Amino acid sequence: MPLVEPGATGAKTETEAVAPIKGGNPGQKRRLGLTFWLSAGWIFTLVFLALFRDILPIRDPDELGIRTREVAKFESPGRNACGGGDGQGRDMFARVVQGARPALILGLTVTIIGGILGSAVGVTSGYLRGKVDTVTTVFIDIALAFPGLVLLIAVRATFGNSMFVFIVLFSLTSIPGYARIVRGASFALSERDFVDAAAAMGATKRRIILRELAPNIALPVLSFAFIGFALVIVAEGGLAFIGLSLDETTWGKLIADGAGDIARHAHVALFPATVMFLTILAFNLVGDSMRALYSPREVATQRRLRVGAMADTGSGDEVLYIDDLFTALHTPNGDVHAVDGVSLSLKAGEALGLVGESGSGKTMILRSIVGAFALADVTRTGTVEVAGVDMLRAEPADIKRTLGTQIGMVSQNPLTALNPVRLIEHQITEPMLVHTSMSKSEARTRALELMQQVGIPAPERRLREYPHQLSGGMRQRVTIAIALANEPELLLADEPTTALDVTVQDQILRLLSDLQRDRKMAMVLVTHDLAVVKGFTDRVAIVYGGEVIESGPTEQIFSNPRHRYTVALIQSMPNLDLPSHSELTTIEGTPPSLVSPPRGCRFAARCPAAQDICNTTPPSTNEASEHWFRCHFPAGDDAEGAA
Amino acid sequence: MAGTGTAHLRHDVVLSVTELVVEFPARKKQVVHAVSGVSFDLDKGETLGIVGESGCGKTTTGRAIMQLESVTSGSIRLNGVDLAAEQGEQLRQARKAMQMIFQDPVSSLNPSRRVREIVREGIDIWGQTREGDVDAWVAEVMESVGLGDEDVADRRPHEFSGGQCQRINIARALVMEPDVLILDEPVSALDVSVQAQILNLLEGLKRQFGLTMLFISHDLSIVRYLSDRVMVMYLGQVCEIAETADLFSRPTHPYSRALLASIPGNTLGLPQASELISGELPSPLNPPSGCRFRTRCPHATDVCTSTEPELVEHEPGHWVACHHPSVNA
Amino acid sequence: MLIFVQRLGRLVFVFFVVTFVTFFLLDQAPGDPAERFAGLNATPEVIEGIRAELGLNGSLIERYLRWLGNAVRFDFGDSIVTRGFSSWDLIRESLPKTLELMVFAEIMAIGIAVPLALASARRPGSFIDKASSSTAFGLLALPAFVLGIYMSFIFGVKLGWFPTIVDNLPGLNDDPLDNLRQMFLPSLTLALNLVAVYLRLLRSDLIETLQEDYVMLAQARGLSERRIMWRHVLRPSSLNFTTAVGLNIAGLIGGAFIIEVLFAINGMGRLVIQSVILEDFNVVAAVVAILTVAYVMMNFLVDVLYSILDPRIRHAAR
Repeated sequence: MPLVEPGATGAKTETEAVAPIKGGNPGQKRRLGLTFWLSAGWIFTLVFLALFRDILPIRDPDELGIRTREVAKFESPGRNACGGGDGQGRDMFARVVQGARPALILGLTVTIIGGILGSAVGVTSGYLRGKVDTVTTVFIDIALAFPGLVLLIAVRATFGNSMFVFIVLFSLTSIPGYARIVRGASFALSERDFVDAAAAMGATKRRIILRELAPNIALPVLSFAFIGFALVIVAEGGLAFIGLSLDETTWGKLIADGAGDIARHAHVALFPATVMFLTILAFNLVGDSMRALYSPREVATQRRLRVGAMADTGSGDEVLYIDDLFTALHTPNGDVHAVDGVSLSLKAGEALGLVGESGSGKTMILRSIVGAFALADVTRTGTVEVAGVDMLRAEPADIKRTLGTQIGMVSQNPLTALNPVRLIEHQITEPMLVHTSMSKSEARTRALELMQQVGIPAPERRLREYPHQLSGGMRQRVTIAIALANEPELLLADEPTTALDVTVQDQILRLLSDLQRDRKMAMVLVTHDLAVVKGFTDRVAIVYGGEVIESGPTEQIFSNPRHRYTVALIQSMPNLDLPSHSELTTIEGTPPSLVSPPRGCRFAARCPAAQDICNTTPPSTNEASEHWFRCHFPAGDDAEGAA
Repeated sequence: MAGTGTAHLRHDVVLSVTELVVEFPARKKQVVHAVSGVSFDLDKGETLGIVGESGCGKTTTGRAIMQLESVTSGSIRLNGVDLAAEQGEQLRQARKAMQMIFQDPVSSLNPSRRVREIVREGIDIWGQTREGDVDAWVAEVMESVGLGDEDVADRRPHEFSGGQCQRINIARALVMEPDVLILDEPVSALDVSVQAQILNLLEGLKRQFGLTMLFISHDLSIVRYLSDRVMVMYLGQVCEIAETADLFSRPTHPYSRALLASIPGNTLGLPQASELISGELPSPLNPPSGCRFRTRCPHATDVCTSTEPELVEHEPGHWVACHHPSVNA
Repeated sequence: MLIFVQRLGRLVFVFFVVTFVTFFLLDQAPGDPAERFAGLNATPEVIEGIRAELGLNGSLIERYLRWLGNAVRFDFGDSIVTRGFSSWDLIRESLPKTLELMVFAEIMAIGIAVPLALASARRPGSFIDKASSSTAFGLLALPAFVLGIYMSFIFGVKLGWFPTIVDNLPGLNDDPLDNLRQMFLPSLTLALNLVAVYLRLLRSDLIETLQEDYVMLAQARGLSERRIMWRHVLRPSSLNFTTAVGLNIAGLIGGAFIIEVLFAINGMGRLVIQSVILEDFNVVAAVVAILTVAYVMMNFLVDVLYSILDPRIRHAAR
């Protein structure tokens, strides 16, 4: 109920204000855009008119038209008077310019005073926490509950309604709003490691607030200040409208004057109303454009599913058949070719390890199979068949049925893989209820069965619990139970153990592997950890730069790796046979850009064996053979070449 | 596994932590027993690895030593000075000799500052801490962490990859010439190939600058590379401390054995992990009596419930806190 | 439950502070209500008598406590201006109109904002998203009295569909059609401002939830888009939205005063403004007390709703 409260605009102030750090979009220059400059231009014009209204050729706002015969009573806007005339023949344009001055003075002073004081309170309580914070939040609670109107009235009655009184009053009421925003931002910022790092360096609290927190809060606060400025204008206008504002001519007063007669002389109210609207809009737009400078860009555009020309189909007995799959993510920085011509196939009972580093495209291959990309704008071309159903071109209903009954998926982070607000029971039974004709009680019985199979103790009780009541390992077991619900033929596991502790990882991997073997499922196990693949898969495909660069039986990949990248990856695995302190093999350089991938071999820039041809010509390969690789100078050939 | 006891501590060490206890208040007047009586020491030029799974108190131990968490009881002696006895400004001064590297390399760097300012931060705070040309010293440190290029200093953190950010963090710490460097999971946020780069870098820096390091990690195979000695923790207490090679060849505490057996591949000749550990981690709000590992231990007996085991020297330099240690590998 | 008790305790504290400060501020205002009540020719003895009758004697704390004691029984003292009426009478007369306005506005706002937010978040960057986002942004720049004037001008003056002024409003039971016709423009004006707030809030929370792993997995399980939106996305995304609605309901009871002035509705807002201008402080204090109770209750209700919507909060609270 305060008069001026930034953050009441519905923006998610507290989280957004922290965004500058998250907004990691390196290289991309953020521009302010045309709307920003138009808005800034409007504000500038307004300030200019308000400042120099006495020396500019603007009519005297108090001059009555009757006297000068220049503006008639209620004259419509037009050539003679661009804002028209009011009931006394005064020039509306001149009156509106006159009203701009108090609006701007009030807005500016209140924003500066309230912004600075509120930020100081907010950053102190957000960083120091403890008692300071408790006191501040209670103060903010009270301030937000306090009827600003009553305060205004009491103060007005005691101190009069001069500009000074209004500035003090509005500043006071705007402090809690700023304090709340800045407190939230500081709170979140001080959770970040760099604040701890500064404390560990020996920085004093004062230094941490001024040097570490303040620079990161400055831009969000400035952006809110513009919105807060607009709110001051709105608040003053509202008060003026009900006759409780300054004595000066203000926009609110002009609008109130005209409002009574809008049936006959609408322009007297509409002209100042429109000026006011445009001004508030301009301030909001400037604030919003500034927020775009530090906020992470929202996911780009509409999701389109474009499908390429018909391609080959599988021979029939594969559970999964991928041929020449291309997946491109359309982003503001250009198309990311996350999957670039990948072919894979998998028979029932087979387990394939898909290994690569972060950003290699391994996860995108999985996502491309199921076509779930959150809100990203993605194009897939090529062929993906699961149990004979074309996942790119079949009828949506067929695709959905295949997803629900033939594919089970397990994702990386068990903490985010389950819906936090739904009971475990509903999450496990959902795929059965949606995709099969099972009744609720049948589904429940089956859910209990599944939970026993994945090793969840006391399943009856667990069914009635929520995900947060379970440990990470247990949640991953629940995710696996859901994946198994409709007895799928294909199990997709995306780094299923990366987020888990090592003893739990062992349990989950064994569980997955046992289930896969018992049920003769085909399984794709995506991981960054070669060691994980070793005991649990029949075949391995190494992914690098959006391509599969080597594929073969697991044993052979480890005993006879051919691609130089595979060799380096195996060597950089921590090896328990080497003594401590021995030098590790590293891969220098960084992975290639997926926006503009290199022309030749993707690994050429980091490869110790690379020659000219590697930079110009992509290596070819026979993907039909059991063990294949894309390399001009594969490892293991040296000896043969010499022989 | 209550690794209480201080018999394993040595004299004349750089850092000595004795009976460290860190507790956090929880709801309903409960207490989170994050660290419960942990003792260890660190000799000059030595690297001690602390391993354990989430909830074992390894990170809290590191943060408590840095005074980033308040210590409930116990002493932390740095170069003979008891930090627990110091307060305010004196504590800040004493702590200068320790530096810390955090897990998330990107979040550890203030996004709004340039690399130059970040690396020089210690000098800005403390003034000139060494003889000679400060700029040359900073340049030397930048060079040795592999960020010697001229243009690096003027850029901001978001222009760097995770691995490069961790190099910046390391440089910032090294500029202060710390007596002890605490590394809290410094490579777990990085890709395998970058992990190896940073580990090699740390190993090289250790030799170049004679660093004394406390290396905290959940990953045994990584701890093994850098550490001279390794300490295994479980639920806020110490299970086992030994020379790295001893621990890996003859893990003696049942939990150490389970941990080692869980490494993918299990090449150490241990039984399957599922035979060595069962059940789930108990709540630190209400840890088991006696040995804290007993609820998951295949060897647990009544004495494990009633008596907290102390660290006992099994072989020279190999300390184990267990009533039923097993050596059969 | 403990956390609810704590929270409630804090809110009760807020109530006492707000009402006391209000009481204090009103006491500071110049002018003696007893003198005014007594009229011009009253003797000092008469004024003293009236003072005692109105409960105006004694120290500030004494008077506050007395006022509080009476307020619990809905006795807020007589109106000084409208003779023969108690403050509670005046409030009882005006409150239904304000409540009606508020309920209509909230229903319209939620009815417009939720489907629009769902449609926008599902396809960020689509035409419907861009159009609704821009409209919401424009609406945010329209203060109620500006928007209200536009609405009356367009729908009242130009199109002539609805009256621009609420005049002799019949009860909702007596003549629902005329009542709705008259209340339509004020409710819509109020609603449109809320739509902007709700839409932006809900849309950004929905987009956040849509990028969660469990939504991706729900898609990968072949669930229909509608099921995913309603069952998996909407509820976890609705916490901020719930807060906004809850606090707006409390705020609207007093915050709709501009709309009430503009459309000449004799509601609580108008009552408080008139009482303020005429210095009828018993009524002002009564309105403030009721608004604060509403605020405190809505705050508490939002907390309870939170724990229903999100089991994590429910269990943390136990």
